[in-house]
Amino acid sequence: MERRVVVPGEVVTTERKKIGRHVFVEGGKIYADCLGLADVNGEYANVIPLQGKYMPRAGDLIVGIIVSEEYSGYVVDINSFYFSFLSKEKLRKPLKKGDIVSAKISYVDEINQAELENVRVFYGGEIVTISPVKIPRVIGKNGSMLNVLKQGTGSALMAGRNGRVWIKGGNIPLLKKALRKIEEEAHTSNLTNNIEQFLKEENAKRENSTQNVNSGGI
Amino acid sequence: MDETVYVNEKGERLDGRKVDELRPIKIVPSVLSRAEGSCYIEWGQNKAIAGVYGPREALPQHIQDPTKALVNFTYRMATFSVSDRKSPRPGRRDIEISKVCGEALANAIFLERFPNTTIDVYVQIFDSNAGTRITALTAASVALADAGIPMRDLVAGVSVGKAGGHIILDLNKEEEDAPDAVDMPIAILPRTKDIVLLQMDGLLKKEEWLKAFELAVKGCNQVYQKQVEALKAKYGMPAIEHETQKEEKAVPQKPIPQPKKPVEVKPAEGEEEKKERVEEIKREMEQQIKEISEKKKPKIEELKFNSGGDNQ
Amino acid sequence: MKKDDIIWEINADKIKEQIKEGKRVDGRKMDEYREIKILKDFSKNAHGSAIARIGETEVIAGIKMDLAEPYPDTPDEGTISVGAELMPMASPIFEAGPPREDAIELARVVDRGIRESKALDFKQLCITPGEKVWIVFIDLYVANHTGNLFDTSAMAAMSALLNTRIPKIEDDKIVKGEFTGNLVLSRKPILSTFAKINGKVVLDPIIAEEKAMDARFSVATTEDGFLSAFQKGGQGHFTEQEITQCIDIAFAKGKELREKLR
Repeated sequence: MERRVVVPGEVVTTERKKIGRHVFVEGGKIYADCLGLADVNGEYANVIPLQGKYMPRAGDLIVGIIVSEEYSGYVVDINSFYFSFLSKEKLRKPLKKGDIVSAKISYVDEINQAELENVRVFYGGEIVTISPVKIPRVIGKNGSMLNVLKQGTGSALMAGRNGRVWIKGGNIPLLKKALRKIEEEAHTSNLTNNIEQFLKEENAKRENSTQNVNSGGI
Repeated sequence: MDETVYVNEKGERLDGRKVDELRPIKIVPSVLSRAEGSCYIEWGQNKAIAGVYGPREALPQHIQDPTKALVNFTYRMATFSVSDRKSPRPGRRDIEISKVCGEALANAIFLERFPNTTIDVYVQIFDSNAGTRITALTAASVALADAGIPMRDLVAGVSVGKAGGHIILDLNKEEEDAPDAVDMPIAILPRTKDIVLLQMDGLLKKEEWLKAFELAVKGCNQVYQKQVEALKAKYGMPAIEHETQKEEKAVPQKPIPQPKKPVEVKPAEGEEEKKERVEEIKREMEQQIKEISEKKKPKIEELKFNSGGDNQ
Repeated sequence: MKKDDIIWEINADKIKEQIKEGKRVDGRKMDEYREIKILKDFSKNAHGSAIARIGETEVIAGIKMDLAEPYPDTPDEGTISVGAELMPMASPIFEAGPPREDAIELARVVDRGIRESKALDFKQLCITPGEKVWIVFIDLYVANHTGNLFDTSAMAAMSALLNTRIPKIEDDKIVKGEFTGNLVLSRKPILSTFAKINGKVVLDPIIAEEKAMDARFSVATTEDGFLSAFQKGGQGHFTEQEITQCIDIAFAKGKELREKLR
């Protein structure tokens, strides 16, 4: 199962296939519309982007941040073109600026503004932002990568489709390293195993070295 | 009276190039960590960095177009990039170049998918020797692809023109200053040969235009190859650097926008050295291509979009 | 509200908390610089140029020497002029336009560090007293901003000055492409910038730390034990003891950084 890197305007396939994502047809050929990996193994011709902004789609689970409070609701940054609005009617408890929430996108209008539902609030933790197109790799097949990350670091995490990952507890520096590694190597194969190995090695290293905290200095 | 021979009997130009030969080009995408897409380019002596942000909400709101995204191209030259110090304020030339380059890119981008937004492209020139707008546009196109912006093709450009009666590709400053000089920057979408940027200064016959255009297409295709190689090299190259650097650094380092061996500035550069440099860049490029083609293309079994959003 | 700000605001609390235990977000020591890289002779058209990188922060400096009339009060001295541009590609929050106060402060601090150290003998820049002197334009372009623009800019400026060639003059005009020699610098001032966060002082703040800091302090030091510029920024304060500690560290780090200028 080979996937080659294609650039915008490059032929993905000349075979007859259904039009998938990030491709367009001209003169009977299917072309890539962005930098990505050509996927022509199924009945669809797709390009899996290697870079890009988050385009909200109905049904996506996202991680957002409350930016400000208004009379009837809250403004939420969902790392897309616009902020979303969260009505107070949908919430049981009041929120404050800086709160981190997860939500499902219920509807996207013609100018890509998203409406949210199923809002849940996170307590504590922090946000790591990575390229949204790489989120599928952070999740892995049936959540396999998430499990590897959770087990390897003891952290709780939640990956939003919008490129925001909420993380809390466990070995946060290691988890951040691992996320960075996934982001950088998202186009390579066997990533889940590599990350598992990486976490094992890092953990072993930590056990060997005596507690060596960088304190003091100034 | 001008005695300069722009193309000698061996078919060589002042800097030793053939009439249809480009200056050495080096393209490195993703050089800036903050920008959403970026590109460093060296084109002969020209050096530039391009950075892309967007699509992002166009502000103030009254500039928004509800049917499509705007392309905001900013071309600027550093004060020290030209022989006399340039004023840091943008001049009329900067503004005109920004406009035509922005329009050229707009043609390639699927703008209608991003209503009310703007795609901001910034290019800064740090060293120059003729052909900077084409250099800027070529880099910007790679930066757009690097930002993942949907396009129907890359935009590749060259300048063609005339010096000493010869139609030549990719004029340098000396040739641009020829008494009969014609400078014609062109950018096309290589796949369809659609012309997206075309300017011309000087006097040109119709036959010369046809010849020049043919030469330009040839040049653009070579530029396009460089763009594609650069973009693919980013994903085809093994991630050796990460293994050694990752240990002590929390913030991953990207390579400094620079060839592995910096091009040295020598006041009096011999032809020998120049040729050597060209060869070196060629070799480097070939090596890159070899490595890419030899390396098994990345197999990605797990990268699927259907792996579920409910990951809690 | 810009998108970057909100993330930083959240991270700021985290940074403040961790710093109490002597931990920095990126795991560095309190007095540790990020990796520093210098690349000289970047632009052929410049009389001197360099790229400096501290971590991922990147500043490109170029020098142009030009002829000017001297100031009436210093008829036998040339001068320097530092300009800084925060290029919009360097961060999602910079916009093209006239220099804002941040860029002006940046340029002025770099200027003072060099000028006041007397690294450049301004008398050496005099051509004809009262008539013609050199003005050394140092232009700084910030290409990528991940924190500590001050030190990165100062490194870029010094590095560019150290490989600056003096243009040849004929009939009171600059001869293009011909040079008479290199600019001579008697000292190499190094700027070191500290951030005070939640009562702790750290060297070389990254952008997240800058967002969390109460105050900032920059000090320029020379190899022969002089301080050539101070700049305190931000609404917070420093104690005398903290400033003295910063100075000690700046001298020690100055030595390391000066090596990179070679």
